[in-house]
Amino acid sequence: MVKIQDLRQIFMLESMPDHLLALIGQEAHLSIFSSGTCLFRAGEAVDTFYMVMMGQVALTVALNKEVDVILENIQSGRTFGSSALISGDPAVYTAVCQEPCETITLSGARMQTLFETNHELAFYMMAGVARQYKQTMDSRAKMIMKTLEQHPEMKASIHDIETLTPAY
Amino acid sequence: MVPIDLLKKIRFLADLPDDIIEKISPLAQKETFHPDSILIRQNQEQHLVYMLMAGKICLNARSDAGRILTLDEITPGRSFGMSALLGNAVATFSAVCTEPCEVITLSGDQMRQLFASDYTAGYAVMGRVAQLFKDRMNKHTWQFLHSLSIHPAINPV
Repeated sequence: MVKIQDLRQIFMLESMPDHLLALIGQEAHLSIFSSGTCLFRAGEAVDTFYMVMMGQVALTVALNKEVDVILENIQSGRTFGSSALISGDPAVYTAVCQEPCETITLSGARMQTLFETNHELAFYMMAGVARQYKQTMDSRAKMIMKTLEQHPEMKASIHDIETLTPAY
Repeated sequence: MVPIDLLKKIRFLADLPDDIIEKISPLAQKETFHPDSILIRQNQEQHLVYMLMAGKICLNARSDAGRILTLDEITPGRSFGMSALLGNAVATFSAVCTEPCEVITLSGDQMRQLFASDYTAGYAVMGRVAQLFKDRMNKHTWQFLHSLSIHPAINPV
């Protein structure tokens, strides 16, 4: 069980009505992880949604055998593991605590079951997740554009360039 | 109002349950645009979702240094501007008609009002938007990693 005022510190839940936060609070757990803890690895199923209260979690991907790329450092107020809430797809990245971390966790399976009966909760959570994806999507697209601008010759070797835009 | 059978030709809406498409139908507008019409300007707030029925639309992005890249050519059945459904979303690209275009539009404000009064519709549509954004974000991640892997600074010739 997690208090509403703690959940309010999570950006994604800022506009969530109190009665829904109370519901989430009943399902949520506070977990503390030591520095270096691997929460999940790329390719593994993601079954837990994480909300960082304190500390920093690095999301990394292996570029090759020698180079690991840090995609993002997740700090307090931010979340990761959204796949647990929608699809159960395998993780794209590995999540490792960079320092001692205090997180609020939600079971993906339990939340998806709740979504089936409480569409208000489901709507607010999906809107929050979509906003976060949009933010990340935009920042990655900007990075790719910047790289292409500096090295236009790379455009030919990037397939699916049209997928830089959110069109379907 | 746009008839349901036309809305079902749009890839984004095609898989939604009929009762939800019926609720979207009165909010949809059909519009025509001349070539060179600018539907979305980069860095401006997005208010409408666009769904192309006929014609062709280019999505362009201008980099910080002013270089314009054409990223995508939208063909009938495809949609863009989904961020309008989230509110306070700024466009990351411009959309320009390259031919006479027939477009169905949905107002982001009106759709959010629908979601607030009908959470089942809101969940169905927003769940789809979240899944589409997730798939796209993962593609961006792989593109970013690929661009890094072939970057001259990391992989010198």
